[in-house]
Amino acid sequence: MVPDFLTIAEAAALIEKRELSPVELVESRLDRIARYDDRLHSFIRVLADDARAAANAAEVEIAAGTYRGPLHGIPLGLKDIYETAGVATTGHSKVMQDHVPQKDASSVQRLREAGAIVVGKLATHEFALGGPSFDLPWPPARNPWHLAHFTGGSSSGSGAAVAAGLVPMALGSDTGGSIRGPASLCGVVGLMPTFGLVSRAGVIPNSYTFDHCGPLARSVEDCALVMQAIAGFDPRDAGSIKRDIPDYRAALQQDLQGLRIGVLRHNWEEDLPASEDVRTAMEEALHVLKSLGAELEDCHVRSLQHYFDIKVIIAETEIFSIHQPDLIARPGDFGADFRARALPAVLFTANDYVQATREHRRMVAEMAPLYQRYDAFITAGQGEAPRLEAHRSLTFWQRPNLFTASNVTSQPALEICNGFGTHGLPLGMQVLGRPFDEVTVLRIGHAYQQATSWQHQHPQLRAGAQAPVLTPPPILAGTADQADATTREVCAQAAQRAGLRLNDEQFAQLLEGAPYAFGMVKRLRRDQGYADEPANVFSFPASF
Amino acid sequence: MTRQELDAALARLGLDVPAGERDGIAAAVQYLDKMTARLRPAGGRDVAAEPAHTVAFPKA
Repeated sequence: MVPDFLTIAEAAALIEKRELSPVELVESRLDRIARYDDRLHSFIRVLADDARAAANAAEVEIAAGTYRGPLHGIPLGLKDIYETAGVATTGHSKVMQDHVPQKDASSVQRLREAGAIVVGKLATHEFALGGPSFDLPWPPARNPWHLAHFTGGSSSGSGAAVAAGLVPMALGSDTGGSIRGPASLCGVVGLMPTFGLVSRAGVIPNSYTFDHCGPLARSVEDCALVMQAIAGFDPRDAGSIKRDIPDYRAALQQDLQGLRIGVLRHNWEEDLPASEDVRTAMEEALHVLKSLGAELEDCHVRSLQHYFDIKVIIAETEIFSIHQPDLIARPGDFGADFRARALPAVLFTANDYVQATREHRRMVAEMAPLYQRYDAFITAGQGEAPRLEAHRSLTFWQRPNLFTASNVTSQPALEICNGFGTHGLPLGMQVLGRPFDEVTVLRIGHAYQQATSWQHQHPQLRAGAQAPVLTPPPILAGTADQADATTREVCAQAAQRAGLRLNDEQFAQLLEGAPYAFGMVKRLRRDQGYADEPANVFSFPASF
Repeated sequence: MTRQELDAALARLGLDVPAGERDGIAAAVQYLDKMTARLRPAGGRDVAAEPAHTVAFPKA
């Protein structure tokens, strides 16, 4: 019998020695999916026949002496924004529910070349945006630690499937925390690599500026193994960067003696004051890192709201632009939560977008002296997962989160479990690094995991148990009526200029987000010097 | 864009534009509207169609 929570590294060692067959491993995961996913909803499509065929092929290959490496014969799930040849890739949306790409995303291709086996397509928040939605063709994923609770998102299915032992690895994406949020709430490891390191080609975009593709797994070592396969230049991705790719796994063996770590304490004590259990877990984690030889020092960057404003002005403008034709033609086919996030973007002007990208470059550049002083940084993850029914779309506009800052600074960021809260749900912390220094981030995370035992705790799933019936949260917060006549007029004009024809509920969603969008615009700096360029600069297509 | 929208857009940017110049801008609005209308090709664009500008790290 194959252990439920075998890591990639453990399975690879057995497969290489031919003590475990890929067929056995894949069959055991398919069995586990069949037993438990009816209440987790982590998969929206299981590719059992394809996976079995690939497992057979892997077994034959390995038996013939061709072993491709540690991912050979290892099952994985793909967030359903990763194009998969011949398989519907839907973005978990009615809008693309019949979309079947001809070609794999580049990172999927690389994983297949490494011998990995795609078991299925995983639930995601709609088009990797927004929150859990009950009005989409497939239900939202549930947290394996407590089925009434949120997985985090948008890589919701990825977090749930890995935490529940359905697959040992999954690909997710992170635009404002969407790998790290699920990793935090589901108690697994998630890595957001530096922008440009892992190809976005063939991945349904959320934001051209902030999308990062990366792995979720149950150990840091496993994330390192996946990174080895997927990192590297791709001419199909306009943002792909040419860098030598280090041996991520080999770097895990270095200790932390003398490593200088900046502690972004203000993030969880001032910017977004955390609960007592999060604070305790963070202090204990810092103590562990110190005991491992790291030198810790409190440091400061801008408050989380500053980065959040920039990210939202840029990213929500981009995702609105991406889906504009369908938001014009068929707004009702999007989930309410997606609309609540995307529609207020009509209030951002081209001038706002340009000023935001100029501030973006400034935010990236001002990290340089900190990178001189510190090898890495620590900040908190989210607290315990809230109940799904408690989700409110408007919350996105009302306050920042702990993750988005590093999307803006484009740093690698590793989310790792650092304890459990008062209700028995996972807590997490983030290890942030210098751009392209995933090696140090993984090294710190691995050392921390080796010194603690959180990764060996797993959710207890009972065969035959039912998922609790949940009441979908209300679509509106009820604040649209508070909008004054001027705000209504501005929103109506902006929606019209964008070509939108919104019904009353959809217009109310725009009105509810408007005060927060205007607040961001008001806070935006417009006194840049002539030479202050945007972070986004012109680049020729790869074919030139 | 109506004159009212134009005035609101200028106010939003904090610009104090004399009336005569506003008239001139208002006269050009129809051309701006046509440009933005041409930005939306029939059938939309492939979601994967990237902007010409991509993120580039500062040289440092």
